[in-house]
Amino acid sequence: MNKTLKIYKPFAMNELKRQMAYKASFYLFLVISLFSSFISYFLWMAIYGSTDANTLGGLSQNEMVIYIFMVYVTSSIVTISISEWVSEDVVKGSVAMNLIKPIDYRMSLISRAIGTMIYQFMVPSILVWIGLEVYKVTVLGMDLTHLSNIILYLLSSVMSFLIFVLFDFCFGMIAFFTTYIFGMLMVKDALISFLAGQLIPLSFFPEGIQRIFDFLPFSSMIYTPVMIYLGKYQGSELIFVLSRQVVWVILLYILGDLIWRKVTKRLVVLGG
Amino acid sequence: MITVKNVSKEFVSNKKYPGFKGAIKGLFSNEKVSKVAVDNISFHINKGEIVGYIGSNGAGKSTTIKMMTGILTPTNGECLVNGVNPSKQRKINAQNIGVVFGQRTQLWWDLPLSESFTILKEIYNISDQAYQESMTFLNKILDLYSFFDRPVRTLSLGQRMRADLGAALLHNPKVLYLDEPTIGLDLVVKDNIRKAIKEINEKYQTTVILTTHDIEDIEELCSRIIVIDNGKKIYDGSLEKLKDTYGTKRKVSMEIKQLNAFEGIELSETLGVTPDLCSTRLDVEKNTLEVTFDKNKLQVPQVINAVMSIADVQDIQIQETELAEIVKAIYQHNVAK
Repeated sequence: MNKTLKIYKPFAMNELKRQMAYKASFYLFLVISLFSSFISYFLWMAIYGSTDANTLGGLSQNEMVIYIFMVYVTSSIVTISISEWVSEDVVKGSVAMNLIKPIDYRMSLISRAIGTMIYQFMVPSILVWIGLEVYKVTVLGMDLTHLSNIILYLLSSVMSFLIFVLFDFCFGMIAFFTTYIFGMLMVKDALISFLAGQLIPLSFFPEGIQRIFDFLPFSSMIYTPVMIYLGKYQGSELIFVLSRQVVWVILLYILGDLIWRKVTKRLVVLGG
Repeated sequence: MITVKNVSKEFVSNKKYPGFKGAIKGLFSNEKVSKVAVDNISFHINKGEIVGYIGSNGAGKSTTIKMMTGILTPTNGECLVNGVNPSKQRKINAQNIGVVFGQRTQLWWDLPLSESFTILKEIYNISDQAYQESMTFLNKILDLYSFFDRPVRTLSLGQRMRADLGAALLHNPKVLYLDEPTIGLDLVVKDNIRKAIKEINEKYQTTVILTTHDIEDIEELCSRIIVIDNGKKIYDGSLEKLKDTYGTKRKVSMEIKQLNAFEGIELSETLGVTPDLCSTRLDVEKNTLEVTFDKNKLQVPQVINAVMSIADVQDIQIQETELAEIVKAIYQHNVAK
């Protein structure tokens, strides 16, 4: 365990340093993505303003504000698209460079993702998060989020991160068969923003569709931790959603393993 | 050290059709085309050997290297490197080998070179002492410290290649694969790289497998060469033997004032041999006569005498067939197998 940590830590550290080396593009990305959060903020405020109902989809207007910005906080630490790295490695042929080293390709990708996650957590996420809490207390007049919710949220987010990267690894394997997956990456992003509750809270969907979402890994990626943060899950339901996350981590880990074995058998390295 | 037994590799891909219509047709057709990149190759390489692995572009050199490094799995047959099957135990094999692909880098593009080496130290689990030792040696032969703190993307090609070679050797591998290590380098850097390879081979008894298109690489480094063509092994043996077997032609060029004296004269007739053993070529502009002949059948003085009996010779140049020409002939399938 200690040895594994020692081998893969540099990949994470490396990614951290790399992120810092390309600061400008990072901040630009940050501003743009925060922009879309504000767009959905104003959109939802307009929707709540034009209805007499106190809650929509089980969320009050104030909870919706928290939902929107916690989705931002969560997705910037969870949705780290390692399939893009896989596709880049395949297109450039640099996947060969990874295979000549005594390292596990998936582990090295996940370690890099952890590096990115740490950076994104420190720079935009925590600032937006603190800003949100300050806004909550001063403007909305609500209490600070309970510490136990914060701890459960962080725990759930870590599992969300694992679910996302393990899923994304499997997805990235498509690149080995089709070489170029840019189009599919776009489709994936669109699907996830929809199915994981980034655009609309999943509680807005009809019962039947929500049942289907329960059987997909996407709801565990963003919706679950944010709802935990909002304190929407209690008791046995809370245990259920957390253990569902654990099951997804295990299933996707095994699936990725199986796919990787298949892929290395029929690997074609491009160029040279 | 390395045993390759009846290894074949076949690539299967979807059939592509030309043009826009073809692109649409390709969407619906399920036809596959297979290409045999490596066809039933076997060889054995001993510890400490430097083997040149040569062949024309697309002959299957890189594919073989990739199978020996564990990147690709052979369709048939198996490789054993230091007792380990690379495709089945890739990570164990990776500990024993160092690889340089001349056309790409294994270093971290955005980071200073020193960082890449620190990372490699962790990956290969190298102790501090061994690391210091390796670095001192590598710096001596590759002069790495002069650009150690610069990001890899800012290095010149020569520096990057030295750095890559250093990175491949840091963990003191038993086998070193070099896939075109001197591609695109200037003469001085090429020379440095060759010296470094030689020193490493002598000091650590490292087995080196080298693919290259540079004939000088082979002449200076390799004691043995394996030639493959169209995925098949066509020669395996020492460099001298290759020259002996295939390099039977010799060339003598002579500067002659009255070149027109040779018009209509067949030198092979004068020498009393069949025309395929001796051919001539006249260069009117340079006033030279070039005679190519089989060195097993004719001697140089014989040829010169025959020419001098016809006209006065002012200057003589005798050329041994160079390896480059042999290789060229092999590539063009001119050499009987």
